[in-house]
Amino acid sequence: MEVVNLAAFAILLSLAVVLVAQVLRSGPVSLWDGFFYADALSALVVLLSAFVSLVCSIYAVGYFRHEESSGVLQEAKEVGGRSASDKLREYYALMPFLVFAMTLVALANNLGILWVAVEGTTLASVFLVMFYGRETSLEAAWKYAIIGGVGLSMALFGTILTYYSAYGALGTDTLAGLNWSVLARNAAQFDKPTMRLAFILILLGYGTKAGIAPMHTWKPDAYSEAPIPGAAILATGVLNCALYGLVRFYILSSKCLGPQFGSQLLILFGLLSMGVAVPFILVQKNFRRLLAYSSIDHSGIMVLALGFGGPLGILGMLLHMTFHSVTKPLLFFCAGNVQQHLNTDLFQKAKGGLIHSMPLTGAAFLMVTLAVTGSPPFSFFQSEFTVLRAGFARDHFVLAIFFVSFLVLIFSGFLVHITGLVLGEDPGLPAADMCRWKRYSVAGLSLVIVVMGFWIPAPLFRLIQGAVGIVVGG
Amino acid sequence: MPFVPNPELGNRIITLMAALVLVLQIAAVGQRGIVSSIRIFAVQSFLLGAIAAVIAYFNQASHIYIAALLTVFLKAGLLPRLLERLVEKVGIRREIEPLINVPLSILISGGLTLLGYVVAESFYHPEETSARAALGHNTLAVAIALFLIGFFVMVNRRKALTQVLGLLSLENGLFLAAISLTYGMPLVVEIGIFFDVLVAVLVLGILVFRIGETFDSMDVSKLRKLRE
Repeated sequence: MEVVNLAAFAILLSLAVVLVAQVLRSGPVSLWDGFFYADALSALVVLLSAFVSLVCSIYAVGYFRHEESSGVLQEAKEVGGRSASDKLREYYALMPFLVFAMTLVALANNLGILWVAVEGTTLASVFLVMFYGRETSLEAAWKYAIIGGVGLSMALFGTILTYYSAYGALGTDTLAGLNWSVLARNAAQFDKPTMRLAFILILLGYGTKAGIAPMHTWKPDAYSEAPIPGAAILATGVLNCALYGLVRFYILSSKCLGPQFGSQLLILFGLLSMGVAVPFILVQKNFRRLLAYSSIDHSGIMVLALGFGGPLGILGMLLHMTFHSVTKPLLFFCAGNVQQHLNTDLFQKAKGGLIHSMPLTGAAFLMVTLAVTGSPPFSFFQSEFTVLRAGFARDHFVLAIFFVSFLVLIFSGFLVHITGLVLGEDPGLPAADMCRWKRYSVAGLSLVIVVMGFWIPAPLFRLIQGAVGIVVGG
Repeated sequence: MPFVPNPELGNRIITLMAALVLVLQIAAVGQRGIVSSIRIFAVQSFLLGAIAAVIAYFNQASHIYIAALLTVFLKAGLLPRLLERLVEKVGIRREIEPLINVPLSILISGGLTLLGYVVAESFYHPEETSARAALGHNTLAVAIALFLIGFFVMVNRRKALTQVLGLLSLENGLFLAAISLTYGMPLVVEIGIFFDVLVAVLVLGILVFRIGETFDSMDVSKLRKLRE
C-alpha cells in the first residue's frame, strides 16, 4: 500500500508539472467537451495539491511504521475493533480518495462539480479525523462533519443562486450554465441582488471549509486528532481547495458587482480570523492545537490579501498560498516527530531541550517556526510584505497596522512556545528513533524551504503571475 | 396538435405541494419520537420528488424526471430505511429532548417562515409577469424557510441522529430552491449532489453508531472534552 501511494502521488506530481508546462505554453486547456478546464489558477492549485500529497505520503511511511511499532495503532485497533494492519490499509485507501477530490476541485469546469468535489474532500477527511477512534477523535469528527456539512450546504445554496442570477443572461443554455468558462464571460450581466446574496452564502460556506473566523471552531479539534500526515494535507491541500472555490466566486462577483462589495466582507473576515488566532496562540498549552491556530491565522492572511485586491493583493495571496503549502507540512512533521518521541502533545509535559535528543527535528522545528511567522530570510516575509504593500496601496492604513501587530504578536507567541520546547538543558532523554523516511522528508523539505527563501523557479513565478492576471483582469 | 399543459394549473399544484412540504417541516419540529421524525422526512422527500415531476411535466424538461426519480428512490426510500435500521441498532427508545419546548419551537418556526418570505420578496420582480417569476417567488420563500427551520432543528436538538435529520431537511430546502428557481441544475451536478448526500448520510451514520457505542448515549452535549 505504501508503495502504491508513493508511486501514484509521484505520477500525479509529474502530470501536474506537465499540465503546468502546457498551460504556460498555450493558455487554458480543456478536455471532454469542457468538463475539465485548467487555466493558470487551477494549474497552480493542482501543482500544490500534488506536491503536498507526495511529501505527506513520504512522511506517512515513517510516521505509521513508528505508530505500529510503538503500539499506538494497537490501541486504536482496540477502540475501533479492527487489526492494526487494517487501520493502515484504511489510511492508505482514504488518501487517494482525498487527493482525487482535491484535484477534481481545481480541474472541474462546472462550479456545481467543484462543490461536489469540495464536499468529497470533507467526507474523505472525516474518516481521517476519527482515525484513532478515541472519544476525543469522535467528538472532533462529529464537529467537523456537522459544521462542515452546514457550511457546505450554504455554499451549495450560493452556487444555486449564482446559477439563478446567471439564468437570465445565459438564456436556455442549461447544460453549460454552471461552467466557469461560460459564466466568466457573461458575469457582467448577472442579476445583481441575487449575486450579492449568492456571494455572501459562498463566503460563509467555503469560508467554513477554509476555517476562517467565526466558523473556525472545528479546526483545532480536527487538526489535533487526525494522524499527522493527514492533518498536514487538511491544513494545506484542502485549505487551498476551499480558497480556490472562494476565489472563483470572488472573480464572478467582482465582475458583476464591482470589486468593492466582496472586498469589504473579505477584509472583515480575514482580519477577524487573524485576531481570533492571536490570544489562542499566546496562551496555547498543546502544540498540535497551536498549529491549527496558525492555520486559522494563515487562511485569514490569504482572505485579507484577496480582500485588499488589485494586482499586488492577489499576488500576495497566491505567493502566500504557494509558500504555505510548502512550509506548513514541515511544521506538522516536526510536531509529529516530537509527539511520537514524547508521547504527549502538551507543552507542560515536554521538559524542553529536545535539540539534544532529536537534533535534526529540533533544528528544523526552530527554522520552520521562524519561516511560518514570517521572519525575513524565509519566503513568507516576501508574501506578507506584498500583502502589506497592497494594503497601503489601497489606503487601508488602520487595517495595515492591525495586520502588522497581529503578525508581531503571533511571531512572539510562537517563538516563546517553540524555543521553550526545543532549546534548554538536556533532560536526559534517549536519542529519538528516526527512521530513514522521516529523516528524508524533514531534511528534504527544509532544503526546499531554504532555497525558496532566495529563489523561486521562473516558470512557477510566471504561473503565479498568470493566475494573478486571471483574478484581476479575467 | 401537440398537447401543451396549462402552466397556470401547474403553478397551483406546485404551490399547494410546496405548502404541504412546509407544513410537514413544522410538524417535524413539533415531533417527539425519533422514528416518526424519520417518517415525516420520508413523506416530505416524496412530495419534493413529486414537485420535481410536476415541474418536469409542465415545462417539458425531461432531465428533471431523473432528479425526481432519484429523490423518491434515495431520499424517500433508501435513506429513511437506513436511518430506521440505525435507530434499531443503537437502540434508542427515549424520546427527543429539545432544548426549547415544543410550542415555542413551533412559534419560532413560524417566525422563520415569515423571514423566508421577506428574503424571497427582494428577488421578486413584479415586472416579470411570466409564470417562472411567480413560481420562483412562492417556492423560493418556502425553500428558504425550510433551510432556516432545518438550521433551527439542528441547534435545538441534542441527539446526534436528529441533528442529521435537521441537516437532511435543510438539504431538502436546497433541492426545492434548485428545482423551482432554475428548473434544476445541470444533470451531472444533480447526480453529484445526490451521491454526496448519500455518502454524507453513510458517514454520519457511522459516526452516530460509533458515538452511541463509545459514549453509551447519542446525546451530543456529552461531547465536551475538547475545550480550550
